[in-house]
Amino acid sequence: MRRLLNIFRRKVAAPQPASDEERPFKERYLYFKKLLSENNAVLEIMADLEDKRSGEYIFDMNYIRTSCSKLVDSVQNIIVNLDKLSKGKYPDLYFAFAKINSKIEATLTNKTEIPVTDFTIPFDSVTKDMVNSVGGKNANLGEIKNKIGLPVPDGFCISAYAFKRFIEFNELKNKIILSSVDIVDMEGLNKISREAQNLIMQSQIPPDIESSISNAFSELSRKISSRAGSPTASVRSSAIHEDAKFTFAGQYKTALNVKADNVIENYKRVISSLFSPRAIFYYKSKGFEEEDMVMAVGVVEMIDAKASGVMYSRDPTDAEKNDIIINAVWGLGKYAVDGTVAPNVYIVSRDEPRTILEKTTPGQEVMLKCNPKEDVVEVEVPEEIRTTSCLTDDQIKSLADYAIVLEKHYDTPQDIEWAIDEKNNFFILQTRPLRILKEKPVKNIQAITKGYKIIINNGNIACKGVGAGKVFFIKKEEDLEKFPEGAVLVAKHTSPKFVTVMNKTSAIVADVGSPTGHMASLAREYNVPTILNTKIAMKTLEADKEITVDAINGNIYEGRIEELIEAGKRENPFKDTAVFKFLRALLNNIVPLNLIYPEDEKFSPDYCETFHDITRFAHEVAMREMFQVADSPNIKKREAVKIEVKIPLEIYVIDLDGGIKSDSKKITPDQILSMPMNALLRGMMDIEWPGPPPINVKGFLSVVASTAMQPHSEKLLWEPSFAIISREYMNFNIRLGYHIQTIEAYVGDNINDNYIRFLFKGGGASIDRRARRTKLIKEILERVDFDVKRTGDVLDARVTKYDKPNILKKLGILARMTAYTKQLDMTLFNDAMVDWYLKEFINKYYIAE
Amino acid sequence: MTEIKKLIIPLTDYPHMPYWATLEEAIVLLNFSHESGFHTVLVFDEFYKLLGMLNWKEILRAINPKFKELSSEKIDIITSWDDNKFKMPIKDFMSPFDITVDAGDDILKVAYLLLQHDIDIIPVKESEKVLGVVRMHDIFHEITGLILQSKK
Repeated sequence: MRRLLNIFRRKVAAPQPASDEERPFKERYLYFKKLLSENNAVLEIMADLEDKRSGEYIFDMNYIRTSCSKLVDSVQNIIVNLDKLSKGKYPDLYFAFAKINSKIEATLTNKTEIPVTDFTIPFDSVTKDMVNSVGGKNANLGEIKNKIGLPVPDGFCISAYAFKRFIEFNELKNKIILSSVDIVDMEGLNKISREAQNLIMQSQIPPDIESSISNAFSELSRKISSRAGSPTASVRSSAIHEDAKFTFAGQYKTALNVKADNVIENYKRVISSLFSPRAIFYYKSKGFEEEDMVMAVGVVEMIDAKASGVMYSRDPTDAEKNDIIINAVWGLGKYAVDGTVAPNVYIVSRDEPRTILEKTTPGQEVMLKCNPKEDVVEVEVPEEIRTTSCLTDDQIKSLADYAIVLEKHYDTPQDIEWAIDEKNNFFILQTRPLRILKEKPVKNIQAITKGYKIIINNGNIACKGVGAGKVFFIKKEEDLEKFPEGAVLVAKHTSPKFVTVMNKTSAIVADVGSPTGHMASLAREYNVPTILNTKIAMKTLEADKEITVDAINGNIYEGRIEELIEAGKRENPFKDTAVFKFLRALLNNIVPLNLIYPEDEKFSPDYCETFHDITRFAHEVAMREMFQVADSPNIKKREAVKIEVKIPLEIYVIDLDGGIKSDSKKITPDQILSMPMNALLRGMMDIEWPGPPPINVKGFLSVVASTAMQPHSEKLLWEPSFAIISREYMNFNIRLGYHIQTIEAYVGDNINDNYIRFLFKGGGASIDRRARRTKLIKEILERVDFDVKRTGDVLDARVTKYDKPNILKKLGILARMTAYTKQLDMTLFNDAMVDWYLKEFINKYYIAE
Repeated sequence: MTEIKKLIIPLTDYPHMPYWATLEEAIVLLNFSHESGFHTVLVFDEFYKLLGMLNWKEILRAINPKFKELSSEKIDIITSWDDNKFKMPIKDFMSPFDITVDAGDDILKVAYLLLQHDIDIIPVKESEKVLGVVRMHDIFHEITGLILQSKK
């Protein structure tokens, strides 16, 4: 731990030394500012990474690695700065960081692990979890055989580990170098490919592998000899990433009808196809690393098919259709796959009982059959069956049943190869995810929207997409409980608490907010189309009215526009690439936000699971730390400057950094450069203060003690008020009448930094009247978007993530409210008075937007 | 006889305002407290020192001083109303008074003071702190109640 701390601490240079008196405040402020800027850096990098995850951009591993290392640096800096700011209050954050970082490191350095296995593995013991040992195709066949129980040919795998051993045995790793291959240089690609393939063909299969293959083949022959006289096999590629999420359809070689003696030779031929020009291209363009180029091989009982073909569990051109599509040819399936002959096409309904909706039998002249000795041969299709269907209706229906079973098991539409032998036994030869083709260009969306009414056309897109539904306003947290399924969430500002309805909402629209905020990140995680910072959504949109949110072009339309919604749906071309998978795996430890509620006891370093959690936690507690700065006991001893201002308050300021432009001991409001302080003072000068002017109260102290409502607990506070300020920051502790209030604000150019916090406590009147005053304050603050918590006469309010003009405007309102409510508690006889004063304040002093 | 303690309406429940509150605020307050049967606002300074009181009568006088006189002249409330008065502090309209009683005082003493000064309420203090008020209304019920009971 100490070592960890030291590493961290070295990362941050000590801030400029200040005088001893000033150090605590100035230093802490500098740490705070640094933390804010690192916080923004993290949010921006995360937003960028997530944006890439949307799949609209091509990016490479290098981008991810660079972004990640920046992210790690910034998160570390946040922790270190918080450590300094809080004087080491949160040591557990270091552990949280170390835990998350080690996971990220593991993902970053992750190579395809090739487990040590036998060189050959019988199908009987294979399942889909063994992809890294036996390759995708074999793993699926094993799964079908052992987990689903559908018929597959028997066989065995030559493992990935055998491949690895083969490469090592022949020292091929140093001989086949692909990293320098430029995939657009076809000539270079061909040359490298030829060299690599020759090297493999010339290499020797290690004797232990050879004997393992030979034994496995004998065992296979023994098992299947009852079915076929002298067993032969197909030798098929089963690369590690084949048939899983990535479809390497037709990239590799398959040898059909191979006799025992030739298995080894064909094994080499198949693995050499891993280095065919198109396979190399495919690998490189999908972002695989060289280490990922590993091939297992399947040695599968050869089915001398009477008929065979391909079947899709859904129509790939229109997944909405409820159809199963089956292609069939006489003989071996190769002719169905490569298009040599026109296949029979059967369309079967997915509904039960299955019905054959369409049946085409175009006629077939030639077919591919197993040569009695070895290999395959093209023969004529016997005259009598040329124009008859390859399958009977019953067979078609049973095959369709298989498609449904497979789709259900894999939970995604399947592309299946099948065969039927002379004895009418079906075999599933292969299954893999079906690619549904529904990509549509999004660029043209605008063109099709002519004639629809655009209600809002400004704002920042936080998550791309199109969503439609009825407008539902979220004005306070409790509204979330009533959020209807499929509605569009419309709010004044964003909150991570919206996460609770993200599975129900079809889009999110907010008047303020930033695409780099926490909620934006959640929206992307849940893929909810989101437009923020529209400024006018709350007042422009109407509750329960249907709208379409086009978070691609940044428009909001009246009504439901099906074309747009349809166009907004799209599968992403890059979504299945390895770079993508890698990014997604990585983002799991970076982006999800678990620390939602600051008041929750789980809002602690122990529960930080991601960098986002750490960032949010640190930002939150850093604000708390800063808020407490003004309570520091030695603050009044410090040299402070008095502001000469005509309001009944005695104000002193302590400048941390660029908050005033004068060396004098007394300054005028014009000399205040601090933006928040300035806004507050202007607001306070704007209003006529109720009550008596400030007086020298020394002579009154005895009166105060004896006449206050609760003479022992409440004393009239007539002490000077202190503000700690910088150009962007203000922490103003106001002592006014019988209550204390603190206003803290940060106003910068990045809206993620900006906030106002307002704490109010006490009063001179009885508790019920004091509580009525906080009620009045709550009502006012909520009208200007504060998030307010109130218990009796204590009120804690906060507003975050508004842009500079808005924060300053809110500070002005806060200033006027401060003056307006001074000693107002005395008057608040009942709730009706509260309502009356609220109306008065709004009419007189609240300047509407 | 009876101490007035049990007749006190605590200050918490009674309308009161600082002296800088406007006439408008006081009118609003008395309208809102109408249902509770309170006709008077106690006026304090910022240190919760009692300065005076403002009741219906004083407010009506403030609205139009001519109410004081027996006048045959027709008065239009709205046109004769001076808007600026609304914004004036209640200290300009209240009647300052220093008649108070102690929580331990006897009910008859209070009745005497109410009659003597022709007032409807009287503030009750306990070591300089205003506890609340007693009203003529409650004193009447208390005294007449006791008499009726003794007749039975």
